[in-house]
Amino acid sequence: MDDQPVCRGVAPVTRRSFQSPLARALGRGAANSGVQHWWAERVTAVALVPLCLWFAASIIAHAGSDYAGFIAWIRTPLATSCMILLLIALFHHSALGLQVVIEDYVHSGVKFVAVIAVRLCCYGLAVVGIIAVVRIAFGG
Amino acid sequence: MIVESSDQVPRLSWLKRFPIPRNFKVTPESRIEKGRIWPAPADAKRIKAFEIYRYDPDSGGNPRLDTFHVDVDDCGPMVLDALFWIKNKVDSTLTFRRSCREGVCGSCAMNMDGTNWLACTRFISDMDTNATIYPLANMRIIKDLVPDLTHVFAQYAAIEPWLRSETPEPEKERLQSPEERSQLDGYYECILCFCCTSGCPSHWWNGNRFLGPAVLLQAWRWLTDSRDEAKGERLDALEDPFRLYRCHTILNCTRTCPKGLNPGKAIAEIKRAIVEREK
Amino acid sequence: MIKNGTTDGNSTPARPRPLSPNIQIYRPQLTSVLSIANRFTGLVLSLGAVGLVIWLSAAAAGPRTYGVMQSAIGNWAGQVVLFGCTFAFFLHLCGGIRHLVWDTVHGFELRSIYISGWTVVAASVVLTAAAWTISLFVAGWHL
Repeated sequence: MDDQPVCRGVAPVTRRSFQSPLARALGRGAANSGVQHWWAERVTAVALVPLCLWFAASIIAHAGSDYAGFIAWIRTPLATSCMILLLIALFHHSALGLQVVIEDYVHSGVKFVAVIAVRLCCYGLAVVGIIAVVRIAFGG
Repeated sequence: MIVESSDQVPRLSWLKRFPIPRNFKVTPESRIEKGRIWPAPADAKRIKAFEIYRYDPDSGGNPRLDTFHVDVDDCGPMVLDALFWIKNKVDSTLTFRRSCREGVCGSCAMNMDGTNWLACTRFISDMDTNATIYPLANMRIIKDLVPDLTHVFAQYAAIEPWLRSETPEPEKERLQSPEERSQLDGYYECILCFCCTSGCPSHWWNGNRFLGPAVLLQAWRWLTDSRDEAKGERLDALEDPFRLYRCHTILNCTRTCPKGLNPGKAIAEIKRAIVEREK
Repeated sequence: MIKNGTTDGNSTPARPRPLSPNIQIYRPQLTSVLSIANRFTGLVLSLGAVGLVIWLSAAAAGPRTYGVMQSAIGNWAGQVVLFGCTFAFFLHLCGGIRHLVWDTVHGFELRSIYISGWTVVAASVVLTAAAWTISLFVAGWHL
């Protein structure tokens, strides 16, 4: 908030903008969007609860096992599919959450660059992760 | 540890402020400087020290923190009484808003010991040993403890806080069942003191676009009023990534409301209404 | 003298009004502290997700790269990072579930807010301790 709001009933003032307080509060109107983002964040969150718990439990159960044991675990159909679903849900949730954080704290034009960069990185990393899982599952 | 109602005074004594630099992100004109230490009354048995934010627009200087010593036996029990005592006996330039002195008008809302509340309903005995009084957080200050509420009132006007109805007016009153009327309980009682909005971190960072808990609570008050016919248009005007969805359910608002209202819940109801009309 | 916020008719600009302090003086409470902790752990976990992809890619590249990865994790610094990520994970998980409950418009009374808040903190500590104890036990059993 760097504009200078002014009280009525006080002596005439200079301010950087002569926009009325109501115009400033109304801004450019409501974007009529935002619920899709909110809903997607919740859907991915609900998906992540069982997926993450499964992942954590699996890691704990296989603690100390060697490479062969780890590969054998990922090759099971359940583990492969859950791992891929986990990566999709995790990176989508992460992209949505990071976008909100950037929108909260960054207010200059950098915001748009940052949001695009974060989103692309998240989806790119998701693809890299899925490819790695597929390679482990179907590789020799 | 478990807070049952908002009038329980915050007791956390080992962390009174976030561990960040005192002048973190403070613009030069807002930097608070050392102020005067006013002498204690000579014959007082019980004295309480108050550090009070001062700002004189006529002096051209920065805000400062003055320390006053109040004779607790000579003034009433509330912080507002202490402010009056200081203004009458020590420094008559101390400026603050006040009206009803009973917690119903919202004029004396200010930040005491780090949380927002009404000065007229906060006991002096509940204040810390080194009591601090600041104006409502994140507001442009006109003088001393008087914030400029123009923007938050403009945000209130922006949600059109009046009955919108196309049905011709009935001859007598617009009817409402007791159940329908009970939907307004917990929302109509808001006194627009803006303690909640001033305590909301999202409003600190995005106050120009985020409406804030007070305005959104009133928006829900009109949405849930059975006599109102513009629910669709009201929800359309609220559905915006900044106007509504900057709320991340931090819940400082519910914790600080001096009337015990629940803006966090009202905002959750709005979000639910928006989702329900979409699914 | 130019009063703040007024003009003498000439073009001298007035000083802007000062902004009252916000985060510099506002008291941390369970509400705001748990909220920022949820955000902070979310950011940590985003970095952890990058680590997860690196780990999977190392495994896909063969036993040697996987071995390098495992020794990096097994090193004391890696264990500290892993412990931090585990705690962040459980705090964000429990906090997230608390948020999902709020989205159904339940649990907004101050008493419920505080009880659920302390439950999240306690559950995160307990789950982190349990996860690490069990995995050390399992690792010992494997070896």
